[in-house]
Amino acid sequence: MCGIIGYVGFRDARTVLIESLKRLDYRGYDSAGVAIIDKKLKTYKDRGEIAKIEKQIPPLKGTTGVGHTRWATHGTVTKENAHPHLSCDKKIAIVHNGIIENFNTLKEELKKKGHTFLSETDSEVIAHLIDDVYKGNLEEALIATTKKIKGSYAIVAVSQDEPGKIVGVRKESPLVIGVGDSENFLASDITAFLRYTNRVMFLNDGDLCVITANTISISDKHQKHIIKKEELITWDIKDSEKSGFPHFMLKEIYDQPETVHHVLRGRISEIEETITFPEQVEKLLKTDITSIHIVACGTSFYAGLVGKYLIEQLTNISVFTELASEYRYFGTRNENSLVIAITQSGETADTLAALREAQLSGCRTLVVTNVIGSTATRIADGYILQQSGPEIGVAATKTFTSQIIVLFLIALKLSLIQKKLGSNELYNYIVQLKALPRYVRDILQRSNEIITIAKQLKDAQTVFFIGRGINYPLSLEGALKLKEISYIHAEGFAAGELKHGPFALLTEETPVVAIVTQDETYEKILANIGEIKARGSKVIAIAEDKDTETEKHADFVLRFPAGSHVLPCIPITVVLQLLAYHVAHLRKCPIDKPRNLAKSVTVE
Amino acid sequence: MKCVILAAGEGNRMHPLTYTRPKVMLPIAGKPILEWNLLNARAAGLKEFIFIVSYRSEMVREYFGNGKPWNVKIRYVNQGKPMGTAHAIGTVEPFVSDFLVLCGDTIFGSNDIKQLTKKGNTIGLIKIDNPTEYGIVELKGKQVVKISEKMERPSCNVVNAGMYHFNKKIFDCIRKTEKSPRGEFEITDSINMLIDKEPMEAMFLKEWRDVVYPWHLLDANEEILKKMHRKILGTVEKNAVVNGMVVVGKDTIIRSGTYIEGPVVIGNNSRIGPNCYIRPSTTIGNFCHVGNACEVKNSIIMDHSNVPHLNYVGDSIIGQYCNLGAGTTVANLRLDKRNITVTLNGKKIETKRKKLGAIIGDNVQTGINATINIGSMIGNNVFIGPAGFVKGEVVSQAKIL
Amino acid sequence: MRPMIKKAVVLAAGEGKRLRPFTETMPKVMLPVANKPLLEYVFDAVKKNGITEIIVVVGYKKEVIMEYFKDYKNVKITYVTQDRQLGTAHALLQAKKHIKDPFLVLAGDNIIDPGSIARLIKDQAEYSLLIKEHPHTSKYGVVFVENRNISRIVEKPKEDVGKYISTGIYKLPSTVFTDIERCYLQGVHALSSVIQILVDTGKHINTLLAKSWMDIVYPWDLIAVNEAMIQTTNESTSGTIEKGVTIKGPVYIGKHTKVYAGCYIVGPVVIGDSCEIGPHACIFPSTSIGNNTVVHPFSEIRNSVIMDDVHIASAASISHSIIGKGCTIRDSFSTIPGKTTIEIENEFKKLERPIGAMVGEDCIIESHVVVDPGKIIGRKCRIGPMKHIIKNIPSESKVI
Repeated sequence: MCGIIGYVGFRDARTVLIESLKRLDYRGYDSAGVAIIDKKLKTYKDRGEIAKIEKQIPPLKGTTGVGHTRWATHGTVTKENAHPHLSCDKKIAIVHNGIIENFNTLKEELKKKGHTFLSETDSEVIAHLIDDVYKGNLEEALIATTKKIKGSYAIVAVSQDEPGKIVGVRKESPLVIGVGDSENFLASDITAFLRYTNRVMFLNDGDLCVITANTISISDKHQKHIIKKEELITWDIKDSEKSGFPHFMLKEIYDQPETVHHVLRGRISEIEETITFPEQVEKLLKTDITSIHIVACGTSFYAGLVGKYLIEQLTNISVFTELASEYRYFGTRNENSLVIAITQSGETADTLAALREAQLSGCRTLVVTNVIGSTATRIADGYILQQSGPEIGVAATKTFTSQIIVLFLIALKLSLIQKKLGSNELYNYIVQLKALPRYVRDILQRSNEIITIAKQLKDAQTVFFIGRGINYPLSLEGALKLKEISYIHAEGFAAGELKHGPFALLTEETPVVAIVTQDETYEKILANIGEIKARGSKVIAIAEDKDTETEKHADFVLRFPAGSHVLPCIPITVVLQLLAYHVAHLRKCPIDKPRNLAKSVTVE
Repeated sequence: MKCVILAAGEGNRMHPLTYTRPKVMLPIAGKPILEWNLLNARAAGLKEFIFIVSYRSEMVREYFGNGKPWNVKIRYVNQGKPMGTAHAIGTVEPFVSDFLVLCGDTIFGSNDIKQLTKKGNTIGLIKIDNPTEYGIVELKGKQVVKISEKMERPSCNVVNAGMYHFNKKIFDCIRKTEKSPRGEFEITDSINMLIDKEPMEAMFLKEWRDVVYPWHLLDANEEILKKMHRKILGTVEKNAVVNGMVVVGKDTIIRSGTYIEGPVVIGNNSRIGPNCYIRPSTTIGNFCHVGNACEVKNSIIMDHSNVPHLNYVGDSIIGQYCNLGAGTTVANLRLDKRNITVTLNGKKIETKRKKLGAIIGDNVQTGINATINIGSMIGNNVFIGPAGFVKGEVVSQAKIL
Repeated sequence: MRPMIKKAVVLAAGEGKRLRPFTETMPKVMLPVANKPLLEYVFDAVKKNGITEIIVVVGYKKEVIMEYFKDYKNVKITYVTQDRQLGTAHALLQAKKHIKDPFLVLAGDNIIDPGSIARLIKDQAEYSLLIKEHPHTSKYGVVFVENRNISRIVEKPKEDVGKYISTGIYKLPSTVFTDIERCYLQGVHALSSVIQILVDTGKHINTLLAKSWMDIVYPWDLIAVNEAMIQTTNESTSGTIEKGVTIKGPVYIGKHTKVYAGCYIVGPVVIGDSCEIGPHACIFPSTSIGNNTVVHPFSEIRNSVIMDDVHIASAASISHSIIGKGCTIRDSFSTIPGKTTIEIENEFKKLERPIGAMVGEDCIIESHVVVDPGKIIGRKCRIGPMKHIIKNIPSESKVI
């Protein structure tokens, strides 16, 4: 993943590009570079973060330029491999985010034509392909180039012969236009230019745009001229800042006391003992539902698995949780099913496809999402907003806990509707839900204990996570978090499954994280811990404060507050998140910029 | 010569009216403050404008466009994160050489602007009675010696009026200006730096209207209405009485039984009456409805709002898209006839007015017979239920049932 | 005159042992007064005087501070950690690398008026200290003054000597760090002792009288300071106010809070966000209620500090009391305010103002419990129904 920026306007391009790159470097920071037209096209790039390279870039006078921060995918981290890449005559510069799959073939062809290549990257072919057909019109050359390359790309190009113009094209990598006054921007995401303008135009796959200081011209993949609507972004620029945390992910973990509170706000009343959803959603939930299908991807899928346990515990509705990408292939569906799609962005392609599929089959559809106005909210019959605020860290944290809480509220509501929940029980649930933010805060203050345990894991090659009942999906999520950001291989298992295969992998070198809650699964999970210890593996248990039995079985214990009877999965999740974070931190991994993973804060 | 107008400020002290619009877009006598400055500058011979925008810039852009309806050219420059007046003016460096700067939220007169164009480096000054809120300017003859910041005990009452004539030399000083104690880059600091090298002349203005708090809009409204001329474009039915300086916009209908005492301005596409009483100095916007048995006095009602049945609105400002339920009344006078204090942004402010109704934001709905007490400051999207009683400051989105 | 002081060091590492049980889960500087932590008042006071960077020395339970003040109103906040509590001079020393110019040093747990800070900044002397007259100086740093300079400064003299106490708010040159380091090597850990040494070597430390300065030493001080500071809070109405609610005087109602019909609220009162009050609850002056707190019908709260996440059931009568975060108080709970004598630190103090109950965090108090004046109930206690609390209850106890 990389961050790209193009600017044309009246401000000093050097300042604008550097500022924007600093906002984009969460996407990649092993090297960076800028190319600015100051009478001639001048390029500066090097290994290292933009904040370090900044000092090397001389005060240039141009107002047109492109910039790039790199997270290497093809070719090692060197100055030559950094972007922007130039044509042979150094008059054309491009920046690229994505992967050109057929670059080798193209490179050979170009070499035969006499082009010289300075880097090992796939991106460099783009500069030469443009140069090869360039006749003074950058957009025409770029269109011709897109016809030859295969893969994913967001490209911004400038030409010394056409100062005051930048050209961009996107396919499967994000690219968004920032509409300014007497200036315009092209960037990988909105946060790059949010301090200069809050007006954006979203580009679709195949769109090509030609941008000058005062004009924006867009054509689609059929080269047809299209007019796009300007959208206003209402984010506070602060939402997209780290506010003193070393990483977005840590900030978002620390956002959770608030986000957990926000999910509940306006939806539960202690005095009135009610749970209230928007009218549309209430109507949906009151219909006759015989089964619920939860469809989602990634971490949202795990939230869906937790949702299954929650809804089935409180109602007599059968719940099936399915991977959105698999939904189309199996599962019965009929008009008495309610399909709940969980998608933080509201734009996840697989989940949208599943939603449409569900509607075609006559199911009622409900969406749990974080983005108001997203495509999912427009397709489904009803939607519930997570209200978590933008999540910028690639690894999902606060959106996961918010999704679980929404699902729990749905479970409670359905239970009320089915008259399975008495008013006194609901009252207790409400009071305990309101206490959740405090439990989360409690965990946040236990960082030191978590860091101590993280040290135990940091050199492991493999870590296993186990849980029973509702803790099983949490073990999957715990493993996912660890994998995503610390690059340690990790797997989650239902504790009961260990003996059916995975035990073979256990050695003294494979620590196991076991989630222990004092409910009906308690004895069995303790037994599992015993079995694991018998094989010599270290066991790190996540157990309640008041639990005095677990420490006799496990090697280490991470605690969570015992009062959280309702949804102990929330504090447990925060422990797992912090554990993954600190392991990654100890291993010096780039936490907000995990390799090969992409998250976009644009609508994508 | 270009005219740069600073239009980036939110105007915190204009809450709740500025929650959704920048201060310069607040309407007086039917036109946003910024438009009055545009017109006055145009009358002074200026044709090219640069608006420095930031907060809610889309509102400014939407209204003014490229300036064609006014036969002027307008360019916009987005200041981005507001970091002070020097920072704002610094952004226009590539576009200007010899230029005027006007603070967009103060209304200046065209004669003064014209005078300013004829001079070199100049700062517009004004003498005011209570200078504690403004920067004091020390003079030596006609030359500026120093501009100081706000003081608790000002040494004189000559203050910076917010109007300047600069040339390119100011930009060097702006680049060297450091952050002030309140964390901004102030043009007054840049000017103090400039004075060391170049003389800066002082020019006393004859016309100057500053608006700081919402009720000042009522004073400005009154002043400007006095100078306008009667113009009836809409329909006035028989048996409607329209006396004095009254402007009735296009496609507006004044129904029978309406009694209008000027100076009053009514916008386009509005429906007034039947049987309502509109007293001086009231401005009603476009697409508004003032209906039967209503009385409106000395108030500003913005576009798309309704005062439809059995209402009294006095000495008040109502935002856009508001609807007062039948019987909703606004109190505007204390029973003990003392001056009115309001709570704005949580702090108590003396308005020094005996009469002040309510300052209401956008999209406020009231139920039947709601009562709004004197000096109420009501935010946006507030819902006041039937027979609801409102007083003090009510934050946006609140519900008074 | 542009003040040249741009930075302030705020000492916020202390625990505040005398404020237990409230400081068992938060550092003293985070105790809420009129719904704002003490530290925020300090930040406000320095921000109003042009400080653009605050270096906060944290230690005990620092996450609570860091989570609350993620960033603060355009003022740069830099956290430095004092790993072990080794005295105020040592705490200040942690900030050394951030300071190159004259700066202010303040304690994070004292409320000071911005005007006094302004005078401190304007003062011409290189070293300046704000002092205050105080009738009972024995627990403070006592300052003896000669010609407006410090002649002697004595920490906690055990008797009420002298007239003035140190507020701990200094203006110092950056050279003071060298002096602190030198003194530290000689075993001097308190800032006041370093100052004494400077005085002895002939330095002039100017003193200025602070206009309004408040310290919280014991839990009951929270009530008095709450009452004083609540006068300065914003007044506004937000959330949902049902019909039939009477609100008199300056009352602040937070966002998303619902006040049900029949409530009677007389200001000055501050109610936080997302609360549910009523129906028919009565909240009387000088009461602060935190966020997410629920007050059930017919309860009466007066002159009290109720923190976040508290549940107060019906018919409670709470007066001059402190209820810590997360407490669940069932119906008919009664506090009895009185000017009682409290035993603390092996002394008996007769209080000058009435005090009710002081209940630590996360307690569960069942129906019909009555608490005698001045009694302190620790954290996480469980008190059974119909109990009459006549003595202090230590944290994590059960009274059944």
